[in-house]
Amino acid sequence: MTIKLYKEPKLEKPDLIVGWPGIGNVGIIAVDTLRGQLQAEELGEIEPWDFFYPRKVSIKNGLMEDLKFPTNKFYYQRVEEKDLIFFIGEQQPTEGEGAYSKGEKAYQMANLVLDVGLEFGCQRVYTSGACVSLIHHQMKPRVRAVVSSETLAREVKKYQNTILMSQMEGKVGEGVITGLNGLLLAVAKKRGLESICLMGEIPDWLSQVPQPYPKASKSVLEVFAEILRIRIDFMALDYMTTQIEEIIEKIYEKFPSEMKEKYDQRKFITQVEPGAITEEDAKWIEEHIDELFKKGDKEDGEKPV
Amino acid sequence: MEKNLFEVYRTSQLQSPSLIVGWQTRDIGKIGSKVTNFLKEKLGGLEVGEVKPLGFFPLGGAVFKDDLIQIPESKFWACEKNNLLIFKSNGPKYEWYKFLNTVLDFAEYHCKAKELYTVSGTVSSIAHTTPRRILTVSNQSQFQEGLRSYGLEDMDWEGPPAISSCLLWVAQRRGIPGASLWPEVPFYLATKEDPEAIKLSLSFLDRRFNLDLDLGELDLEIRRQNEKIAQLREENSEVNECIGILERGLSLGEDEQMKLAKEVSELLEKRGD
Repeated sequence: MTIKLYKEPKLEKPDLIVGWPGIGNVGIIAVDTLRGQLQAEELGEIEPWDFFYPRKVSIKNGLMEDLKFPTNKFYYQRVEEKDLIFFIGEQQPTEGEGAYSKGEKAYQMANLVLDVGLEFGCQRVYTSGACVSLIHHQMKPRVRAVVSSETLAREVKKYQNTILMSQMEGKVGEGVITGLNGLLLAVAKKRGLESICLMGEIPDWLSQVPQPYPKASKSVLEVFAEILRIRIDFMALDYMTTQIEEIIEKIYEKFPSEMKEKYDQRKFITQVEPGAITEEDAKWIEEHIDELFKKGDKEDGEKPV
Repeated sequence: MEKNLFEVYRTSQLQSPSLIVGWQTRDIGKIGSKVTNFLKEKLGGLEVGEVKPLGFFPLGGAVFKDDLIQIPESKFWACEKNNLLIFKSNGPKYEWYKFLNTVLDFAEYHCKAKELYTVSGTVSSIAHTTPRRILTVSNQSQFQEGLRSYGLEDMDWEGPPAISSCLLWVAQRRGIPGASLWPEVPFYLATKEDPEAIKLSLSFLDRRFNLDLDLGELDLEIRRQNEKIAQLREENSEVNECIGILERGLSLGEDEQMKLAKEVSELLEKRGD
């Protein structure tokens, strides 16, 4: 398992900001948008073949050109006297089934990412993801945070639109952050790094659909902008949000009136189990989501070559 | 090189052999397993080693098929007289990159293999009566040039890779020249044996390595299979029409394809193929 660094810039105690795909791709969209806006430069990569089966082979005129793998790249940039390293993983390594990492491969990947951070003197790690919540899709998603120390908890409370998990009514501040966006925090803590996870809220009924939820990514990005004291252009994210919202609204319009009424309570009562949908409602939503979110392309099975 | 990942049964007398690889997982037309079996049997292949299954295959129980226990097998045979190293295996479930490097470690460091050939079927929309082609991919242009006189067809493809392509790529990274041979298999024979494509692959290897193989038994199998399908065409006008369309170089709709594949598959199962 090899890390390949393209260059060795002099960085001063950089923060490491990490994103992998997850629910609604909330985290990776936020981190990748930030990376793009800051025009962070490529720093290196984790060689993929020990973690992933290749996605594609290119053969032209009878000659093998290359295999294509999910990328796992590091980037760096300096903002407002703060050095940053980004890591973007296109896919979470899995052993067997499931989309989220667990087991040995995930642990190895997490350590490799931190190896690079530590090599450059990193002391703090951010990951980002989604928090499945009982919010209404027309509401602005908040950012929920989990941190590695009391000091960080105090710091996070100062950020706009951000709450610690334990501050949620009806919650006891316990839970699991699935996959590498969670595991990395634990491994970082074990290796003596500060770690913060910023999770954008996504409505429960939208958490299973194969669509991004950029509205939550924007909430996360706003917090990053505050932390890093930078301005972010949200135009592209807002455009994506408008397109996704159109689809969501179409489904919402078709909610049976009783269900819609119950769901709409979420707009007025927050935090305490507002308008929880019943199993029956969930079933109805699931059936209709399949219709409206149906993918255009069929995913074929393995091809002979 | 991790030596504990493979087991050496005996030292072979091979001298810079060619490595021929067939996979018995997702084995279209049974090309991979039949070609490697034929070679090791006819050329007196001796078992010389294996890649150990631990870490590469699920070992939580035993799979059985047609009442027989199946074990993941990843074995090497040396055909010393013809200087060929044969490898037949299931595709690894885990750690594909480590597995393929282990295969090449054994071949390269233990047997001094100089080049690689993989043999697997590729699904085609041709009729079984249409002459098959072998589509080919090489990992070095010089090696490709050396195969020009065998009537192989260059392949063009972009899409998900099969394990043979991955092996060819790993060999390329290690500087081992090689080629993947992809004989065409009519889609309705993909899950069955395709003796015509098997023979075509063996004919190439026969010429390439001067093996002097007697392929007569395959001619017999081809004739038997063709007769069965011809009889089905006589009995079933829909099947006849579908194959006729393919023979004219046209394509079938998805439903027609499914139906043809089902009819042929049932025929070959019923009549003991």
